[in-house]
Amino acid sequence: MTSDAGGDQFRLAFREEARELLLELESNLLEMNERPEDGGLVGHVFRALHTIKGSGAMFGFEDLAGFTHNLESAFDEVRKGRLPVTPELVDLTLSALDQIRTMVEEDPGGTAADPAVSGEILTRLRALRRMAGSASGNDGQAGSTPEASRTGAASAVAPVVEPWNESGLWSSQAVPGSEAERSWRIQFAPGPDMMRNGADPLLLLRELRGLGQLMVDASTAGIPPLQDLEPGRCYISWTMVLRTPAGANAGEDAIRDVFIFVEDSCELAVEPAPAEPVAGAPVAEGKPLVEDTAANAACEVACAADQEARGLEEKRRIPARRSTDQPDNASSLRVPSARLDQLVDLVGELVTVQARLSEFATRSQENEVQAVAEEIERLTSALRENSMTLRMLPVRATFERFRRLVHDLARDLGKNVELTIEGAETELDKTVIDQLGDPLMHLIRNSMDHGIESPERRRGVGKRTAATIHLSAKHSGASVLIAVSDDGAGIDTEAVRVRAIERGLTSAEAQLTDAEVFSFIFQPGFSTAQKVTDLSGRGVGMDVVRQRVESLRGSIDVSSQPGRGTTVTLRLPLTLAIIDGLLVKVGEAFFVLPLASTLECIELTRQEVEQANGKQVAYLRGEIVPYIRLRQYFRVGTPQPEREQIMVVECEEGRCGLVVDQVLGDCQTVIRNLGRLYRHVQVVSGATILGNGAVALILDPQRLVQEAVRAKTHSGRPRSPGPAIENGHPPDGARKSFLTNGVGAGATASATQ
Amino acid sequence: MEVEERATVPVTFDRNETPAVIRLEGAIDIGCAADLKAVLLEALASGGAARISVESATGMDVTAVQLLWAAECEARVSGMVLALEGPIPEALRATLEEAGFERFPLARDAEHASEVRE
Repeated sequence: MTSDAGGDQFRLAFREEARELLLELESNLLEMNERPEDGGLVGHVFRALHTIKGSGAMFGFEDLAGFTHNLESAFDEVRKGRLPVTPELVDLTLSALDQIRTMVEEDPGGTAADPAVSGEILTRLRALRRMAGSASGNDGQAGSTPEASRTGAASAVAPVVEPWNESGLWSSQAVPGSEAERSWRIQFAPGPDMMRNGADPLLLLRELRGLGQLMVDASTAGIPPLQDLEPGRCYISWTMVLRTPAGANAGEDAIRDVFIFVEDSCELAVEPAPAEPVAGAPVAEGKPLVEDTAANAACEVACAADQEARGLEEKRRIPARRSTDQPDNASSLRVPSARLDQLVDLVGELVTVQARLSEFATRSQENEVQAVAEEIERLTSALRENSMTLRMLPVRATFERFRRLVHDLARDLGKNVELTIEGAETELDKTVIDQLGDPLMHLIRNSMDHGIESPERRRGVGKRTAATIHLSAKHSGASVLIAVSDDGAGIDTEAVRVRAIERGLTSAEAQLTDAEVFSFIFQPGFSTAQKVTDLSGRGVGMDVVRQRVESLRGSIDVSSQPGRGTTVTLRLPLTLAIIDGLLVKVGEAFFVLPLASTLECIELTRQEVEQANGKQVAYLRGEIVPYIRLRQYFRVGTPQPEREQIMVVECEEGRCGLVVDQVLGDCQTVIRNLGRLYRHVQVVSGATILGNGAVALILDPQRLVQEAVRAKTHSGRPRSPGPAIENGHPPDGARKSFLTNGVGAGATASATQ
Repeated sequence: MEVEERATVPVTFDRNETPAVIRLEGAIDIGCAADLKAVLLEALASGGAARISVESATGMDVTAVQLLWAAECEARVSGMVLALEGPIPEALRATLEEAGFERFPLARDAEHASEVRE
């Protein structure tokens, strides 16, 4: 294949598709380990391998196609029940997927994928198939083919490679020992949505004709009365007899291959039939469905019979079919993510310019200009929402990736670990998701190596020998909470504290809360491990987690109970680009509060402040709402106005208020990074440039409240060791104190680290 | 982005002719199945005879075949005349044969009609 631009583009598309398929395959294989009897999973694996093979051959990846063909054959045997699903087969296939992955990334004919590795995998696969007595009789015939040697199967390995021709298609030539003329009876009932999903049964029938002589009988029994007929639904089913010529390599597999992409959404039965049609077999070629001689009468009878048969036919078909409610692939479009990033950047610029225009329009006081500005604001808002949703992706793919990691690490560590996933449909901006992989990997490795005990130890303390790592995601206001939990031994607080003292991070006299102790594990080079393994122990992983989460303007919470396990929760922003916000003013300073976190706005008069006896709390429909005065928090020196506004925000701690001088209105905010200098100031998640050129800080209400709680905890009671954080929440005492008394005057802006 | 446009309206119903004529032109597929169903229902509701002209039809998919089948069945049961008109294009005949409808009732009528005309 030439390396022209068009070819490169197609190869790029193939690589993208193959990567997705490999990920899906990996996930299916690992599920197969748990449910070896699930035929649906086997079917998925087989079809994915078939697609990789076919597409690979089409784009010049002959080695990959040849190698994958052998795997596909093995899973065809699994499909037919001739090869059992065993952990060995799953492990071997996972290794094979790694090899395919290498082949996908290299240029066709490249040398990155070691042929010896391919050969070894195929030899082991061959051994498994032999043990199960399923290996194909064709296996031995292709040892001398050039493809065999290219796939690493030369000499000793040669026999494991099955025939594969240069065109990437099955050889249509007769091969010694292939079948004599045979007849097959095929019953095919398309799923009701097959046509709507873009598949055409007639094309499949045409493809079948390519295998031999085909006699077709259409059954109209399922067609309802015209009034009830759904125009896009397929009601016809077919019974066919296919006669394949002597020497043709067209057995049941080839017939089933025709239906491979609709297999899940149709009923298909293929069975050998007598060579000549016999009584009871489908109609012979040319047989009329309605006899000419008694057309009217026959049709009436047929119609009446059809009416009765319809009910039975529908009853028979519907429960057996799988749901075909799948997204309409024909209407989806694959776009490079870089283009989406460009789009979002441009929309960001547009939002800033639009803010300037609105500002100008307000000042100009010209109705016409204001009308245009409002229209542009409306359109910009719609464009922004649309463009942001384009980059939102479910975290499923990221989560599913870790099944393989957990499987491999469990095997290496001799531990029995199950990975459970919750909230995989939770959507996050792609830029956030892209950076989520590394932190999650380090957290999982850490849990597997340090958190989860050996099976013997677990048994000894009365736990299930199979440990669990739980990955979860859920929305919380303008953030997403990603949690990694394990049911292992929990963090040894004392060991962490001792190590922190040794490293000079704290003093022996310091009375630290658990949260403060846990924060040490994210320090660079911090580790309590006695020895460094290839998994962990260097104190690098958790530092990487901290850095990455900070760079995403996120935060980390750790909760751990001795003997019961640890949960690390990452709070990440939904998006890194643009948010809906409320613009507020305190003195001469502007702030933006994320709209998603804001519940309502109430007025706070000086009289109400005086009535609260110095406590920073307000009464909202009978409920006490503590508040933080931003004027005080950010030390704004201008005089306090007579009337202030409380922005009520929803936090993990409950409802809290942020007191500001003035609410200026809603705004679309392009988030600008504050730079490394301010990376520790977590109460501010970024900055934005307003229409008048002023800079407004974007506040993180959750962090503000947490900081206030922390400040109150430290100023309100002596520091003492003990459980400070439970399930990601501050201690009850601190919460109670804050919720009833509000924030004292001593609270000031501070960095968390 | 290129959009394939149909040169003609694939399904039209001429009520002014006697009998009324349903004209099928170009590819009669899932894209016009709803239109075809609507005109067939209208033709059946009229109670009179109707012809289906397929002379300009270049192809037909399963959705069209089953709609015509259902309409023909109902027409026969109710004693109404619903028949294909004019010669059946070769492509259309091939499609019907491939789909296992070598002797599609409506098609047979059309053949019969053309034989009578000859």
